[in-house]
Amino acid sequence: MTFVVPVGPQHPALLEPEHFRFEVRGEEIIDVKIRLGYMHRGIERGLMDRTYHQGLYLAERICGICSHAHNLCFSQTVERLAGIEIPDRARYIRTIVAELERIHSHLLWAGVAAHEIGFITLFMLFWRDREHVQDLLEMISGNRCYYSMCAIGGTRRDMRPEHLPKIDRGLKVLEKATKHYVSVATSDRTILARCENIGVLTKQDARNFCAVGPHARASGVDVDMRRDDPYAAYAEIPFGVVTQSEGDVFARVVVRLREVLEAIGIIRHALNKMPTGPIRTRVRAKIPPNEATSRVEAPRGELLHFGISNGTEKPERWRVRPPTYANIPSLVPMFVGGTIAEIPIVLASIDPCMCCTDRVTIVDVTTGKSRILTMEELRRMAR
Amino acid sequence: MTEALSFLLAYLIFPGLLFTGAVSLLFVGIDRKIAAHMQNRIGPPIWQEFFDVGKLLGKEDITPTSAQSTVFTLAPLLAFGAIVAVMLLLPVNSAQPALVLVADLIVIIYLLNIPAICVMLGGYSSACPFGASGASRYVVQLFGYELAFIIAALAVAVKVDSLSLSDFVSYQAQNGWLVLDWRLLPALIASLIAIQGKLLRVPFDIPEAEVEIVHGPLTEYSGPKLALMRIAYDIEILAVAGFITALFLGGPTPFNIGGVQIPGVVSFLIKCLAIVLFTTTLRCIAARLRIDQAVRFFWTFAVILAVISLLLVI
Repeated sequence: MTFVVPVGPQHPALLEPEHFRFEVRGEEIIDVKIRLGYMHRGIERGLMDRTYHQGLYLAERICGICSHAHNLCFSQTVERLAGIEIPDRARYIRTIVAELERIHSHLLWAGVAAHEIGFITLFMLFWRDREHVQDLLEMISGNRCYYSMCAIGGTRRDMRPEHLPKIDRGLKVLEKATKHYVSVATSDRTILARCENIGVLTKQDARNFCAVGPHARASGVDVDMRRDDPYAAYAEIPFGVVTQSEGDVFARVVVRLREVLEAIGIIRHALNKMPTGPIRTRVRAKIPPNEATSRVEAPRGELLHFGISNGTEKPERWRVRPPTYANIPSLVPMFVGGTIAEIPIVLASIDPCMCCTDRVTIVDVTTGKSRILTMEELRRMAR
Repeated sequence: MTEALSFLLAYLIFPGLLFTGAVSLLFVGIDRKIAAHMQNRIGPPIWQEFFDVGKLLGKEDITPTSAQSTVFTLAPLLAFGAIVAVMLLLPVNSAQPALVLVADLIVIIYLLNIPAICVMLGGYSSACPFGASGASRYVVQLFGYELAFIIAALAVAVKVDSLSLSDFVSYQAQNGWLVLDWRLLPALIASLIAIQGKLLRVPFDIPEAEVEIVHGPLTEYSGPKLALMRIAYDIEILAVAGFITALFLGGPTPFNIGGVQIPGVVSFLIKCLAIVLFTTTLRCIAARLRIDQAVRFFWTFAVILAVISLLLVI
C-alpha cells in the first residue's frame, strides 16, 4: 500500500515554499510530483516596466545568494544589446566579485547540507568561515548581500590598493579552512554514510534532463560557462573545471568544495594580472532595437538572460532562465527508489533557489487556455 | 500512615517530582549551553529549559479533530508518571532507593521504555503522516538499542549476581567501580551507544529528525501536553544517566571534604552530569544516520560488545 507524504509548502527541510508530493511505500519513494509557483514575484514583467538602469537593481534582487551573477548577466545582456565593449579593469573586477560570491554561495550550501544530514556542528563551522568571505565582499562593495558592483558599461566601484593585502589574508584563511573541510567531509564516517550512493544521477540522465552547474559536473558532465562561453576576464585566466564521475550527493559536496579552492586560485590570478585604467564607459539610455542573450556560470550553474530592446530606454521583453529551473527535472530520477530520510539532503544537493525559479501561468483547467488576471481578480483570489 | 506520608514526600519532593524536575531541566540547559559552545555559538542561558517548559504550560492546547482520542491525551501523562517512578527506584542519595522492590533492575528497564512507547502511541494517534512515520521509526530504533542496553545491564547483573540496584551500589562500594573492571568495559561502551539511541540524540535522533519529518511523533502536540512530553524527556535523560551511574560508576558515594560530610546525592549528580556531557559531545561530532544504518550499527557493533562482556563475566 502506498501513501502520500506531502513536503511543503511549509516544511522544515525547505527554505522556500514549494510543494512536493512523495508517493511512498513504507520508507521507499515510488514517485514524486513537483509543484512550483508559490514564490512567483513577477520580476520579468517588472523588468519590462523599468529602464535598463533601474532594471539592473531589480535583476540583482532575483536571488539573494547569487545576486552578482544576475547583476552581471543583466548588464552583459544590455551591453550586448547596445553593442559596447567594457574596459579591461571592469572585466577583472567583475570576475573577482563573481568568484568571491561563488565561495560564499558554496560555503553557505555546504552549511545547509550539513544541517540536512543533522550535523549541526559542521553547519555552524561552515557559516563561521563564510563570514570571512562576507567581510571581504563588504569591504570591496560596501554590502554583504546585494553587492551592486556592476553598472551598465562597467562597474560602479573600483578596487582600492589598500584592499589587496586584506583580500590576500582573507583568502589564506579561507583556503586553509576549506582544505580542512575537504578532509573532514571525505573522512567522517557519518557523513559518508549519509552521502555516498545517495540520490544518484547518472551521466546519461544528467544530459537528458539538461542539468547544469556543479550538479551536472558531479555527474561527470564537463560543462562550465566560464570555459565554454567565456565572459568577463575568464578567457585570460587559467583554471580547472572540477568534475566527479559518481553522481551522488557526496560527489556534489566534493565538487563544490574543490570549486571553492579553484575560485581562490582564480581570484589570486586576477588580482595579479589586473590592468589599470577606467572602470566604466558611458552607455546611452535609449538602446536601438536588438536581441541578445548572455550566459553566466552562477554558483548554482548556467544562468541565462535574454532581452529584446525596442529603441526606448525600457526593454520590450526580458527572460531569465535561472540554474535551478534547469535542475528541477533531474530531481525525479534522484528521488525515486530512495527513502524518506534522503528527501532533505537529495533536495538540498542541487542547491535549489526556488524564488529564482518560479513563473506563473494561469490556466483554465476546463478549456486548457491560459489567460491573464487583472489586479482586481488577483486580489479577490488572494482573500 | 507515616509510611504513606514518606512515600508521598518521596514521590513529590525528593527524589521525585520537584527535585528531579528541577535538576533534569537544569541538566538539559547545561547540555544546550555546552553544545552551543562546541558549535561555536553563544547558546541560551542554562535555565532556558525552565522558560521553555513554563511557556509551553501556559499555551493553548490544540488537538487536531482527527486526533481526538484518549490515547492522544493520556500518552503524555503516562510517560510523565512512569519516568518519575523510575527516579524512586534509583539509588539517588544512598545505596537504598526511595522505593525498595525485589529485582528492581527489571522494573527500571521496563519503566524506562514507557515514555518511548507513549511517544509512539501519541505519534500513531495524532493522525498525521509525520507522526506515524516518526512513530514507526521509533519502534524500529527501540528494537535496535534496547537489545544492546539490556544485554549490557545483564552483564553487570551477572557480575554482581543480583537484580537489585542497591546491591550493585554496595558491591561497588566494597570492590571498586565496575567501570574499572576491563571485562565490563565493552558493556559500558555498548550501553553508552544504546543510551545515545534511547535519548534520541545525534546520530540517532532519527525518530524526530526535524528536516525529514518535522518533529516526528510530537508534531501535533502543543501546549501543556507538549510540555509534559518535554519534561518526561528531560527526566528520562537524568534517569538513564542515573541508571548508568548505578551500573558502572558506583552510584551515590558520600565523601568527606575537610571534615564536612557531603551527601551521596552530590556525587550522584556529578556523575550523571558527566554522562550527560559525554552524550552531548557525541551529538556534536556526528551526522544523523538513516534508520537502517542505525539499526545495523546497534545490532552489529553495540550488541556484539555487550555480548562479549556477558561472556567474559560468566
